[in-house]
Amino acid sequence: MMLRAFLLSLPLTLGACDALPRDASGTTERIERSGMMRVAVLPGTPDAAPALTLLRAYAAHHRARVVQIAVHGEHAPHWLEDGRLDAVVGHFAKASPWMADISLSKAIGRAEPADGKQPVLRIARRNGENALILAIDRAVAEREE
Amino acid sequence: MSLHGGIPRAIAADVRRGERLEYWTLGWMASVVLVMWLVMGASQAMKAAVIEDVLSLVPAVVFLLSTHWERRRPNRRFPFGYRRANSLAFLVAATALLSVGAFLAYESITTLVKQEHPSVGGITLFGHTIWLGWLMLAALAYSVVPPVILGRLKQPVAEKIKDKVLHTDALMQKADWQTGIAGMAGIIGIGLGWWWADATAALFISLSIIKDAVGALKQAIAELLDGTPRALDSNELADDAKQLIAVLRTRFGKVDVRLRETGRYIAAEVDCATPTDVPTAAELMGDDLAWRLASLSFRPDPREPPA
Repeated sequence: MMLRAFLLSLPLTLGACDALPRDASGTTERIERSGMMRVAVLPGTPDAAPALTLLRAYAAHHRARVVQIAVHGEHAPHWLEDGRLDAVVGHFAKASPWMADISLSKAIGRAEPADGKQPVLRIARRNGENALILAIDRAVAEREE
Repeated sequence: MSLHGGIPRAIAADVRRGERLEYWTLGWMASVVLVMWLVMGASQAMKAAVIEDVLSLVPAVVFLLSTHWERRRPNRRFPFGYRRANSLAFLVAATALLSVGAFLAYESITTLVKQEHPSVGGITLFGHTIWLGWLMLAALAYSVVPPVILGRLKQPVAEKIKDKVLHTDALMQKADWQTGIAGMAGIIGIGLGWWWADATAALFISLSIIKDAVGALKQAIAELLDGTPRALDSNELADDAKQLIAVLRTRFGKVDVRLRETGRYIAAEVDCATPTDVPTAAELMGDDLAWRLASLSFRPDPREPPA
């Protein structure tokens, strides 16, 4: 009974939404509304340029611009978690201790290192902001092609 | 078949069918675990679903082990044979079901309390980056199919061979497809930006699993404590046990009758002198269920304890 009800409602549910996924906290909408994407670059990230170019293109697509926020490296992931930042550019390992709290992109500008503990350039996003996360994942993949 | 070992001819074919269904379960569910593991990404909800699927294999494994032991003959060290392996397997299966329910409830409550927002990003396949949620939905949809089919096939077999392990495994399959659907609802919820959808759906389902598991545990404990045989799907006394007590009392007067269950078999003890004409199992249980009465003993003077 439950299975049948679910299967019957599935096309309606999926049909009702124009695009999946959406952001849990509406980051993309806020960027469009404010015209501003708040990004922090962690200290010790001399090769941040490709990640920033990618984020600028994303912001431009949403009629916004990237605004760099100065924040201490220690605080940046917390600010991201709290929604005070939209993205953080820095060097993170694939097996980063932060990986459960923030969403890390694939390595930018290089192949994924074999050693999961080696920090490489990545973009960190706020957990649950799945529209933003998917858009950036797509942009990173297209850039690597 | 001997007095305390082997499987009666009357149910041998059905037990073999039960075993075949369990081998299918192991194979099919292993493929589900593999598919889920491939697409789970960093999603905690999917990780929980994979762990739950692995745990769900326990009843199938212990059913196969218990039927293997049930066939063994009694020996000097185990003169009553190994039929109680089924009772032990029932306890293990019920505990596995409870673990799945408790694990799911813990994961859901933790997610809701910590307000964890699950991230599901993209995956690049053949040059196209798509939302990983679509693959997760496909994997979860696949994970729902085997348990629905296998669970329905197992129920009538469990009833025929009076096997509570197989019945608990059918409950586990119900838990499997329900958590699969909760997972699908959760992924769609994540897609719609409702971070709480997954955990809330899983929490409701975990409560139903825990309820089934606690019921099964009560029955398993009753069986191990030599309680009167219980029904397959509840802690009520089994209908055939109630009928056997009534038949024995009709034959031997208002005497005490005690029944206990060893796996799928009933042992009866009647407080009266051994009659000259001992009834057969078929006379007491009917032809279909005669196999279930493994022993009938009489105690001429039950008040006098052994010296």
